[in-house]
Amino acid sequence: MTEDRSTGSAFSRRAFLKGASAAAVTGAAATAATHARGPVELETFAPGTHAIALQVNGKEQKLAVESRTTLLDALRDRLDLTGAKKGCDRGACGGCTVIVDGVTVNSCLMLAIDAIGKPITTVEGLAQGGVDHPLVQNFAHCDAMQCGFCTPGMVMSSLQCLNQNQQPDRQTIQRAIAGNICRCGTYGRVCEAVERTAAGRGDQALRAPAHGGSK
Amino acid sequence: MTAPKNDSLPPERELKVGIGALVETRTFDVPDGDAPPWDATTKFAVVGADVDRQDGIAKASGRAKYAYDITFPGLLQAVILRSKIARGKVATIDLEPARGMPGVAAVIGLKDAGKKVRFVGDEIAAVCAPTIDQCRDALERIVVTYEQEPHTVDFLQSSDAPVVDDSGELVDPWSEDGDLDKALAAATVAHTGTYRTEVQTHGSMETHGAVAKWSGDDLDLWMSTQATFGVRGEIAQAMRAADVKCTGVTIHAEFVGGGFGSKFTAGAEGRAVALLARAANAPVKLMLDRYEDHTCAGNRPAALMQFRAGLDQDGVITAWDQRTFGGCGHNGQGGGVAIPDHFLRKAARRKDRMHKDLATDADPGRPMRAPGHPQGFFGAELFLDELAAAAGLDPLVLRQKNDPQAIRQQQYTLGAERFGYAKARADAAANNAQKGVRILRGVGVASARWGNLGNDGRGRDGSGGHSALCRIHQDGSVEARSGAQDIGTGLKTVLAILTAEELGIRAEQVRATAGHTSDPSGPAAGGSTTTPSLAPAIRHAAFLCRQQLASKVADHLGVAATEVVFADGKIGTAAKSLTFADACKLIGPNPLEARGERFPNYKGDPFERGVCGLQFAEVEVDSWTGLVRVVRMLAIQDCGIVLAKKPAESQVLGAMIQGIGFALHEQRIMDRQSGRMLNGDFLRYKVPGAVDIPPMDVIMQSVANGHTNCSAAGLGEAPSCAAAASIANAVFHAASVPLRHLPITPDKVLKALSQRKAK
Repeated sequence: MTEDRSTGSAFSRRAFLKGASAAAVTGAAATAATHARGPVELETFAPGTHAIALQVNGKEQKLAVESRTTLLDALRDRLDLTGAKKGCDRGACGGCTVIVDGVTVNSCLMLAIDAIGKPITTVEGLAQGGVDHPLVQNFAHCDAMQCGFCTPGMVMSSLQCLNQNQQPDRQTIQRAIAGNICRCGTYGRVCEAVERTAAGRGDQALRAPAHGGSK
Repeated sequence: MTAPKNDSLPPERELKVGIGALVETRTFDVPDGDAPPWDATTKFAVVGADVDRQDGIAKASGRAKYAYDITFPGLLQAVILRSKIARGKVATIDLEPARGMPGVAAVIGLKDAGKKVRFVGDEIAAVCAPTIDQCRDALERIVVTYEQEPHTVDFLQSSDAPVVDDSGELVDPWSEDGDLDKALAAATVAHTGTYRTEVQTHGSMETHGAVAKWSGDDLDLWMSTQATFGVRGEIAQAMRAADVKCTGVTIHAEFVGGGFGSKFTAGAEGRAVALLARAANAPVKLMLDRYEDHTCAGNRPAALMQFRAGLDQDGVITAWDQRTFGGCGHNGQGGGVAIPDHFLRKAARRKDRMHKDLATDADPGRPMRAPGHPQGFFGAELFLDELAAAAGLDPLVLRQKNDPQAIRQQQYTLGAERFGYAKARADAAANNAQKGVRILRGVGVASARWGNLGNDGRGRDGSGGHSALCRIHQDGSVEARSGAQDIGTGLKTVLAILTAEELGIRAEQVRATAGHTSDPSGPAAGGSTTTPSLAPAIRHAAFLCRQQLASKVADHLGVAATEVVFADGKIGTAAKSLTFADACKLIGPNPLEARGERFPNYKGDPFERGVCGLQFAEVEVDSWTGLVRVVRMLAIQDCGIVLAKKPAESQVLGAMIQGIGFALHEQRIMDRQSGRMLNGDFLRYKVPGAVDIPPMDVIMQSVANGHTNCSAAGLGEAPSCAAAASIANAVFHAASVPLRHLPITPDKVLKALSQRKAK
């Protein structure tokens, strides 16, 4: 049940998106030449299924989506990239955070067709040659998770924070992950994981024996 | 652990139990065959050390597969059609138009014509199709008409609700009770107050739901659940009730995106997805959306509580009375309230505690992290602070005077010192005394407890019982397996740590698996019982495997099996030993394998079968805007012997953060007209975010409790009791008036401050 439908209204976000894309078809035909703002070449999609290609984690992926399919559903249901989670499908929880064209987005709020031609990085793209990103390692080291469902989204927002600021202070990190909800309550340890990564810690710490205590 | 382990033990064992200066020697009945129990003198290699969460990398890298992430070729999605009215009956329902919609593979009715509708969101029908959008298109074609009846979603509007005055006080006279009335009349200081909390929703990040896949008549379900074995039975029963042939049900829940008490049942969604998969002859996924999760998957009921009590001239609570109400859903259950009655050992009390659950036409409550406790502890702990203020006592001193528990007594001392309690209280008071000060400061403290230290899982006839599996393979790999679920609390890490400790290896060498009902059975993740119920069986399984391996190594080295020690990755004696890997080469193609037994809890536990905790909070209250900001918090928590340190600390931190939400932000807001939840999303139902979180400290106290072979205790609930209460007490300190209705939102603060000025 979507929240809008239960009011009895026929208006829903998806219906709106459907309508909007249909409107874009006619609108674009009439005004494409004189379009004052927005993309130079406005590609339009009618309702129904379309074969598209997305640039995901450095690879071109061909897939079929409806014009109303969100980027999140495309990644999860078409490409089996399930690191991005669907926590709310309304842009409120940040579980679906991916980086598109250098910017973190809630992939549940972006249509797959709007991501065509833009480089997309998902949490799966952080591992290189079978080695996990130091940030991912530090999340594990700092126990910056409990159930872990919000964690990949938290990792992506944290990564963007580090991309923009190599030595972020605590407040900067808190703001960078302000759009990511963690119900288990791991925020403090997420901040620690980001700080540890900024301090250049990663691999080394994980290779050290993890057990201690007295003998 | 290095000491040689004696395999033939006398049944009565002396153990050192307690912590620090409180350690004492007690005699316990240790069941025959159990692993030799650990106590306060045991030196550990892995237990309590900084071991990483077993599945930390899997989760952070996105590789962990939750129920929501499971897919199969040809997987269909499913959506439930829900009632738009709060109360009445289904008059007519026509599913047929949905069947012809694009992609629709199956449509099932969940409520026939004539059936009762009990709340907005009650399940009516369900469909499956290749995409969710197609499902939603199809649902819009189902035609349902209702016979609507008047409803109420406000428990104070229900027919048997108590009368409260404009200030929120219960006004009905108390019924007489001879001894109690005498004690109240004799009190030096007496006080009364009414407290209220709102409905809180669980808000697990992974919504409820499952993926169902039939293979012939066998059903596999990947479910977001905190009770793998419970839902297995529930689904099997539902298939029988629906006349669907089902020869076996296996639940898989290796990763679960939170539960907090809301995921003990498979729910209508669990039953529906199994039936849809059967009807469509295809695998089907049905996950609730966020609004459904807020409105149809349980909550912590509201509470209304009135207390009255009296102190004698020494500050001892000599009389205590309470009457409480739960604001529940349509089943009128689950609104019970628990208070910190450890302070009331010397108080005269009424024989029959008065509690009434009030039903509304809304989603029923479900257990939520320490059911009844955050509500009751908020009310009673704030009441205690008011009582202390009335008596001119410091609130911490009042607690010290009335708390008989030795563990918590040392926590008062330790916590006050670590938090700088006395100075912070004095500084806040000095700040607040300044003329025209805008930012008021306050410091509060509240206690925590939980009384359940796990069970053996046996039936009344002694059959059944929890167990765990340990396997050691020829190639040196070690498996530790439980069919119970790890919902983020750290069961897999506990499996690895206990097994590694027993075998003298590193936790990273153990492959821990949880959540498949094909593995040995264990409890639901509820009541903080998973770890204390399972840990002794996990350790016992490793202990049995160790004995098998010790015998092989002893034969090989020509030493006595009783001399063989497992430590530092070596097995043998001081003179002769093998590396663990070399020792495993003595194993044949079949692994060494043992099922650990969960023996009954030992008798003679001196800690009254519970754990103690204490939390401190400091807040700032902006007297211009009414905004409350938590500045810092400290938790001290006893947790038996702390097994998995990092996950344990994380759980306490999480409980404090959820407590901030309960104290300051969270409330379900219902529209009285339509009966709908108005804020059923994460935009308007505010759970704490990163910027709401102050610096927080946790002190874990490892207390050997002589309860089982590993002194384990659970941790989900205890720290949840104190967090909101400590914040409310700090706000009382800052504002000089108690804010008796959670959440403490700015409007309430401003109103309270203006009334204070008026006085």
